Amino acid sequence: MDSSTSDARVGTGVTARWHTLPVLRRRQILAGAGLAVALAFPFITGVNAGHVDAGANAFTYVLLALGLNIVVGFAGLLDLGYAAFFAIGAYTYGAAASSQVKLPWSEVWTPLLWLGQVSRVQVEGGRDLVQLQFSFWGMLVAGALVCAAFGVLFGAPTLRLRGDYLAIVTLGFGEIVPVVARNWDWLTNGAQGLGGIRTPKLLGFDFGFSPYPYYFLALGLAAAAIFMSFRLQESRVGRAWMSIREDELAAGAMGVNHVHYKLLAFAMGAAIGGLGGVFFVAKLTTATPEMFQFPVSVMILVMVVLGGMGSVRGVVLAALILSFLQSVILQELTLWVNALGRTIGSAWLAEVQLITSLELIFGLILVLMMLFRREGLFPAMRRVTALSRDEQAALPSRGTTVQLSWAEGAPPAAASRPLLEIEGLTKRFGGVAAADGIDLRVARGELLSVIGPNGSGKTTLFNLITGLVARDAGIIRLDGEAISGLPPHEIVARGVGRTFQTIRLFSSLSVLENLLVGEHARLRAGALGAIFRPPRVRAEEREAVERALEVLGLFGNRLLPRLDHPASGLSYANRRRTEIARALMTRPRLLLLDEPTAGMNPAETLELMDLVKALRGLGITIILIEHKLDVVMDVSDRVVVLDHGVKIAEGKPVQVRNDEKVIEAYLGRRRRAA
Amino acid sequence: MTFTDVLIQQIVNGLALGMMYSLLALGFTMVYGIIELINFAHFSVFMSGTFVGLFVLHLLGFTGDSTGLWGLALPATLLLVFAVTMTATGLLGVLIERICLRPVRGISGTAPMITTIGVAFIIINVVLMIWGPQTKPFPKIIPDRRWTIGQAEVSLVQILLGVAGLVLMLALNYLVKRTALGKAMRATAQDMDAAKMMGVDVDRVIVLTFFLGSALAGAGSLFFGLYYGFTAFYIGYQTGLRAFTSAVLGGIGNIPGAVAGGLIIGLVQSLGGQLLEVKWTDVIIFSILIIVMVFRPTGLFGLQTPQKA
Repeated sequence: MDSSTSDARVGTGVTARWHTLPVLRRRQILAGAGLAVALAFPFITGVNAGHVDAGANAFTYVLLALGLNIVVGFAGLLDLGYAAFFAIGAYTYGAAASSQVKLPWSEVWTPLLWLGQVSRVQVEGGRDLVQLQFSFWGMLVAGALVCAAFGVLFGAPTLRLRGDYLAIVTLGFGEIVPVVARNWDWLTNGAQGLGGIRTPKLLGFDFGFSPYPYYFLALGLAAAAIFMSFRLQESRVGRAWMSIREDELAAGAMGVNHVHYKLLAFAMGAAIGGLGGVFFVAKLTTATPEMFQFPVSVMILVMVVLGGMGSVRGVVLAALILSFLQSVILQELTLWVNALGRTIGSAWLAEVQLITSLELIFGLILVLMMLFRREGLFPAMRRVTALSRDEQAALPSRGTTVQLSWAEGAPPAAASRPLLEIEGLTKRFGGVAAADGIDLRVARGELLSVIGPNGSGKTTLFNLITGLVARDAGIIRLDGEAISGLPPHEIVARGVGRTFQTIRLFSSLSVLENLLVGEHARLRAGALGAIFRPPRVRAEEREAVERALEVLGLFGNRLLPRLDHPASGLSYANRRRTEIARALMTRPRLLLLDEPTAGMNPAETLELMDLVKALRGLGITIILIEHKLDVVMDVSDRVVVLDHGVKIAEGKPVQVRNDEKVIEAYLGRRRRAA
Repeated sequence: MTFTDVLIQQIVNGLALGMMYSLLALGFTMVYGIIELINFAHFSVFMSGTFVGLFVLHLLGFTGDSTGLWGLALPATLLLVFAVTMTATGLLGVLIERICLRPVRGISGTAPMITTIGVAFIIINVVLMIWGPQTKPFPKIIPDRRWTIGQAEVSLVQILLGVAGLVLMLALNYLVKRTALGKAMRATAQDMDAAKMMGVDVDRVIVLTFFLGSALAGAGSLFFGLYYGFTAFYIGYQTGLRAFTSAVLGGIGNIPGAVAGGLIIGLVQSLGGQLLEVKWTDVIIFSILIIVMVFRPTGLFGLQTPQKA
């Protein structure tokens, strides 16, 4: 299908032009248009202060929903106590900008006095007091930082928990915070709540009680959160989050440090919640414990679920829709229903307040979305166009030149010391020894095959080398350096890449994204780099994509046309290939392939084995677990045979094939006797 | 009264309360044991049970100012109210499973749990629409009789509810341990697919589990009404979360554990309120929830819950 027919399909004129624009350009145009409308909104005739106030609230919801989306949507951590951060932000500002906190005056406060952040209050017959009057702008930052710290504090205990337990722990924290707010009178004024909180001032202008300045401020905060969310999503950080969400174990084996990225998600989500809290309280000038209870957490969750977890535009739209529902639709509908009730003489209809059914609507949204549209109204996954007929019909081609820019090349003939040294490696699961004192050396540039009957401990050996399983005894050295005991992501960083026997791709990420996660350990960008995208980060991303294309090129035209397809939509063989490509993206010195040809037909197997040999030619040391013995005998330099966790034979393929112990292990004792 | 007397009194009160938490915790634990789902709808099933009980009592002519019943009328009325309420909440549980949870069963991740939060919100708001936001007095059909044992007082309500709770728990124990259905439940909890292949009608087992769990919540809701003498649409969340903590404390999925956990939480509530201030009770209980979840997810008794791969 050429480009003219594809245009004809999507329409003519403006629509056609629109669809030919790059995604980024389209997004910029939409964002610009949205911003223009939002900026003009307060000045449209017929828009009154009430509408503008509702608009400011709507943007606050957008902000909060995007914060929760980082935790729930990107990182996949269901936080049921998100309102806690809203509360902490709110009380942080509320206490720092009202007369609630009464501290005795001392000289310590003098610098803050000069900065105008506190004042000294004379009290008759007692000691002078400090009156806190911290600036809104400073507290916006401080509130976000305080919440980020609490995010880490509340998140840290949950790191090792599974999804539903994690949700319960966050719920517990979410319950504790309002109880503390209700009972810690000194700071929060208890159930009555804080009052008289100072409104923000900017260059001498007091925001006061008019909704207009708050509207623009909320718009600014929401716009910043939208920008940040998009930037994070398409960065090393966002990919790390999503890989943890999809498959935490595989993410670790690709170099993602789950502790770091989970805490980062909690901290960033909490910081955004804190911004929302500081803003909301400054606008409302009061804070009470009731404002932060479970229904608030659920309301924000409803926004994320409705829009689609992980979908930035979806979450923004859902937050706007739900706040529009609250502030406009239900109010208007109530008037209408009440009028109807008076006409038909139904007292219940005449007096019903539909806004009270808001939580009912939230409940219905949650249930209906989970039953019928779990991906949300506006899912995060880009729709990919199917391959054209030509592309589908194209003969599979192999990569013509096997080149990897980073490969070290064949090692010198007399390599000094082995790349991998394993001594006395032991692992027991209950009474079963999956590895029983294994000694193994793998030379640089060698292709070693590990064979053995099912349950002989081959995959466990890989899991031990990559740190996914903790060893009971023994030591593993890579290039002379002990790697046993290191967490998986550090072992990847030292140059061990692997594939899994049961394919573990990040199924809702695209082929390209899967590969880029593989490169995680080789990239540097952190959260700030991801958001501001300085030239260094741009260059890094560009090079990462180039390297991904280079690796995919090894598979000819099998994967290149499917760059943007979700991994879940690939054929079985292509998923195997993608996994090998992802492992190659970690730039391994040692590549562990766990039954890479399982499920492949003979032609595909041969094609893959040619590639494996070529990779070895590039100087990558390879350990291969394989059941197809003809393959093993053909490609291997050496073969190791495991049985019941013990190395029973080792040597050249021919030697191993004739080893009596091996035959016995595979075929059994009696067969050998016969 | 000396400190010891107060302590004994609070233990009596705590055990009575704990009976209610145990009944409620059993529902959480049974459902979790069988489909590994944390069921937030259970909170609202419990809450709606109080209104079913209230409705039945109103039908029988009892109001908020009714005085206690005597003689045979008391056990007969109690039996009737328990039977109707437990059946009603049991059916509500079945309805929830059939309509909302079966379609999401087996979906990995948090979708089923989010569904139950949605269901909880729907039920709470339907009750709110029907009965309104006011606190409703619950007819005190059990006379206010008290006996003094040593320095501690035991009320008739506490004794009757204690007996009722014990009977229900023994019945459940018999059902799970001694009947074919119980065996099917335990098999399903261990391995749903294997149970299916051995001819267990897993759908039926799950529906019955929801029925039983929800019926016990219904009994728990009557405990709440009769003990506290009121109900309102919002009671489910706090009581439910405490009961959930009980289930977690006893090892979620562990049936005797849920009973023990409920009694412990009841004691924590009454003694915690005595030793610290009442207003911090929930902080203690939720801290227990968090600490157990984080450091001992299998619960106090360390029994392995059936884990599916």
